[in-house]
Amino acid sequence: MIEVNDLTVRYGDATAVDELTFVAKAGQVTGFLGPNGAGKSTTMRAVLGLEAPHAGTALVAGRPYASLRRPLLTLGALLDAGAVHGGRTARAHVACVARSNGIGLARVEEVIDRVGLTSVAHRRIARFSLGMKQRLGIAVALLGDPEALMFDEPVNGLDPEGVRWIRELMRALAAEGRAVLVSSHLMAEMAVTADHVVVVGRGRLIADTAMADLAERYRRDVLVHAADPAALAMVLQANGGVVRAEDGLAVTGLEARRIGELALAHGIALYELTPREASLEEAFMELTDDSREYVAR
Amino acid sequence: MKDAIAAEWLKFRTLRSNLYLLISALIAVGLSAGVAFLVTRGFDAQQGADLRRFDSLGDGLGTGLPFAHLVMGALGALSITTEYGTGHINTSLTAVPARRTFLLAKIPVLVAVSLVAGQVLVFGMYAATMAVLGTRADTVLLDGETLGASLSEPGVLAGLLITGASMPLVALMGLGLGTAIRSTAGTLVALMVVLLILPVAAQTLPRPLGYQIGAHLIGALPGQMAADGLLGPIAAGALLAAYTVAALAAAAAAIALRGHRLRPLLAGSAATILLVAAAPVSAAATPDSTLTWKPCDNMLCSQIRVPVDWAEPRGRTITLPLAMLPHTGRRHRIGVLFSIPGGPGGSGVQDLERHAGSFAQIRDRFDVVSLLPRNGIELGILDQDCLGTGPWITPPDDEREWAALARSNRAAAERCRAADPELFGHLDSASFARDIDAIRSAMGERQFTFMATSYGGVPGLAYARLFPSRIRAMYLDGAVNTLRDRSEDDRARYALMEAQFTRFSEWCANDSACALHGRDVGTVWNELRSAADRSPVPAEKGVAYSGFDLTVAAMPHLVAPGDDNARWKELAQAIRRAEKGDATGFSDYVKAGTLGSPKPPSIVGMNMTHCLDGIGYRDYAEYRRLRALGDRIAPHLSGNELWHPLGCVGWPEPVRTPTAPLPVDQLPPFVGAGTWTDYADTADLALRVPGSGTIRFEGHGHGLYHTGDPCTIAYANRYFTDLRVPPGNTVCREGA
Repeated sequence: MIEVNDLTVRYGDATAVDELTFVAKAGQVTGFLGPNGAGKSTTMRAVLGLEAPHAGTALVAGRPYASLRRPLLTLGALLDAGAVHGGRTARAHVACVARSNGIGLARVEEVIDRVGLTSVAHRRIARFSLGMKQRLGIAVALLGDPEALMFDEPVNGLDPEGVRWIRELMRALAAEGRAVLVSSHLMAEMAVTADHVVVVGRGRLIADTAMADLAERYRRDVLVHAADPAALAMVLQANGGVVRAEDGLAVTGLEARRIGELALAHGIALYELTPREASLEEAFMELTDDSREYVAR
Repeated sequence: MKDAIAAEWLKFRTLRSNLYLLISALIAVGLSAGVAFLVTRGFDAQQGADLRRFDSLGDGLGTGLPFAHLVMGALGALSITTEYGTGHINTSLTAVPARRTFLLAKIPVLVAVSLVAGQVLVFGMYAATMAVLGTRADTVLLDGETLGASLSEPGVLAGLLITGASMPLVALMGLGLGTAIRSTAGTLVALMVVLLILPVAAQTLPRPLGYQIGAHLIGALPGQMAADGLLGPIAAGALLAAYTVAALAAAAAAIALRGHRLRPLLAGSAATILLVAAAPVSAAATPDSTLTWKPCDNMLCSQIRVPVDWAEPRGRTITLPLAMLPHTGRRHRIGVLFSIPGGPGGSGVQDLERHAGSFAQIRDRFDVVSLLPRNGIELGILDQDCLGTGPWITPPDDEREWAALARSNRAAAERCRAADPELFGHLDSASFARDIDAIRSAMGERQFTFMATSYGGVPGLAYARLFPSRIRAMYLDGAVNTLRDRSEDDRARYALMEAQFTRFSEWCANDSACALHGRDVGTVWNELRSAADRSPVPAEKGVAYSGFDLTVAAMPHLVAPGDDNARWKELAQAIRRAEKGDATGFSDYVKAGTLGSPKPPSIVGMNMTHCLDGIGYRDYAEYRRLRALGDRIAPHLSGNELWHPLGCVGWPEPVRTPTAPLPVDQLPPFVGAGTWTDYADTADLALRVPGSGTIRFEGHGHGLYHTGDPCTIAYANRYFTDLRVPPGNTVCREGA
């Protein structure tokens, strides 16, 4: 479990994280959402003790990360896949990190195998693609078989195959009972992996909610163009629908199929019947509209 | 911590670039060998005295060490800057979030690697240099050091080990700088500035500031820890540690999280200040001198007031001028090298002025000091013209003539004595020695290092009897030996002079420039002397030369043939003319060498010290005995050794400094140096002190150090600097 309480981090006059509080619980993937510059990476660095908070705390399994004797056994993290020395082989890199936390070589081979790098483990990292480096970083994060994991924008720059692999891995890690905190600036990405989302903007908490609730809040409707919209509106309202007039009718509370059947039953010709989903992306934009620092106008 | 160290070791091992870096350090060995090679090229192109003018390569680390230090510094720097450069630092600090632990964990790894590599490099540089130098390494140079350095020499092995051990410290400085600067390029530039550029820049500064600053730079410190440098060993070590601590403190502060930097900064500053403070405390302080030195003619001048009669220290005083060729500041100052002038009556001030070039190297280690002594002709209390003259002496044939000689000697003495009878009675070498000790005391020096030239040996010996514990070293150069039994002394002196006469004869036989070429010189000379004794050879009006007069007049030329044997040629010419009844060949040059006296005068200015030092005969009987001895053992120069003692017959002052044995068990080993005509006297003197050594100069001359013989100066400076006595059978030659 990762707990962030009233965390504030400043760089000079700029406040990167502002009294942020949230919890990433065990057994679920917590999406950490926000536009670029919202303070997601800074929060994660503060959790790892790479930043000194001005106020508040960040605890891992109830303790500050820096106080853990072998921290990798408690929290694994991948912040920057490029933070490696290209001169080492993949195996040497993992082994170096493992040694610092008293983790044996058998485990090194195990995690290299789990991320699928066994065949290239003897190669120098300098020749790795970004995707391979991501996998290498994940191998390091998994080294200590930790109860909590933290990934900063893990799918950035990956091909679709890689993206799918990471999604599945995170689902699997959460299913193993671990707390998984994943940051992203893409809501759609979170929609398919996260059980819970924490949305931040300008360092402040905007939303802390179950993924399902967020989706629910932005329900679907059906756009209907009909020969006699007024008549149809009355029929649909009589059958439990809520109708709003736009360019056509925006109907909620009724499925497209049911609307089609009702129109046929009342002899009203339909020109268009389009189920609409309010994308999570739009919801995210709406949520964070005020907090984005850079907006093109 | 154990895991962190193991991880750092793994990190170090798994980067091939570290191996390449260590291998590149071998360039340092190449640099040392390369410079040694260039030196041997130059060395082999030179010969004779010029060989001594090379600068010592010492243990050969001079050229390679800065590069070796740079590589070690880079090794330390890269161990952290590559982490910053690649971002690996985040991975590292995530794995080891205790930042100081992370930093400290690098230290054992760096220390272990650079210690092993450092020792390999240092011994590699040393071995390569010595292999290239070969036997040239043993050449003793002007500054007293050898071109190379043998492991059996004191301090050499320790120097190598300490220098090797300095590598870890430089590696840690690199680590500290790298942590503070974070950029690889920036740190490497900083290391290059500190290790390579600053030493060169320091050399361009005015002296001795440049020397001072140079001695505080990293590369200069290990050498100073092993041997005496400008800084003492402890000071140099403390400074090296201070640099390391300061760099690591900066690193600890730089790597700490914001808000946690004060403690390492304060602790580091405190430790650094403590170490730096220890440096000046442990460096040898220059003694407090009560003398005031003022610039004069490229030297420093001062004066000292001493009692005329040391038995009455509160009595009347005289003031003696002092001169100093001051320490250059280039190397650690050992103390004062005091030059005791000869004569008697010679001016040490003038010696320093005239022969300053001979002291050029030893001034890196010493203040060279001398004086115009109380018996100095130029002192001006007694009349200089009076002191420069004296009666002509004829060896008395009976007691009546002995009494007549006493009368004329006394008359000459009284004439000069009248100006200051009290001083005239205290011109002995023991009074001179006490004057020297007054100077030592006024300069605040515990001991003096001595150089005694010619008659300076007599006050030197007087000093050794009076103040043996004040002598750090005593170098005797052509020194007069008063320690032998009188007849033994005459035997030795006659043997030396006869040998010199043989050289003159052989030269004449081999060189047509000799006016007596083709004739047996010994026979010609002895026949001339006999004839002159029967009927003196006239020179100018009222002046005629007896056989004794001819012998005494010939001696200065005989002993010192001069450039191109000019004075031997003059002597041969004078003999040839005297054979024909004209002694002006002798009288002309005697006049030129004295205050216009046509026959050699028994100079009062010398006798006034000689006689007080007990040079004279005990009585008429002793004189007769020794005169007979000379006639028996000296075929060509008999009578010559009578000259100085006879000057004291009838002297109005008593002997004040009789000769006596040396307290040899209280004295440090001496070194004696002498030419063909000086060696036996000086060596006999020096070798009375256990452990002493000698330098035999195969050639003419008198006063080897002053006149600048590079070989003698080299061995003497070696003795002055490190108290290393020349090995047995050390021989110097003209231009070698």
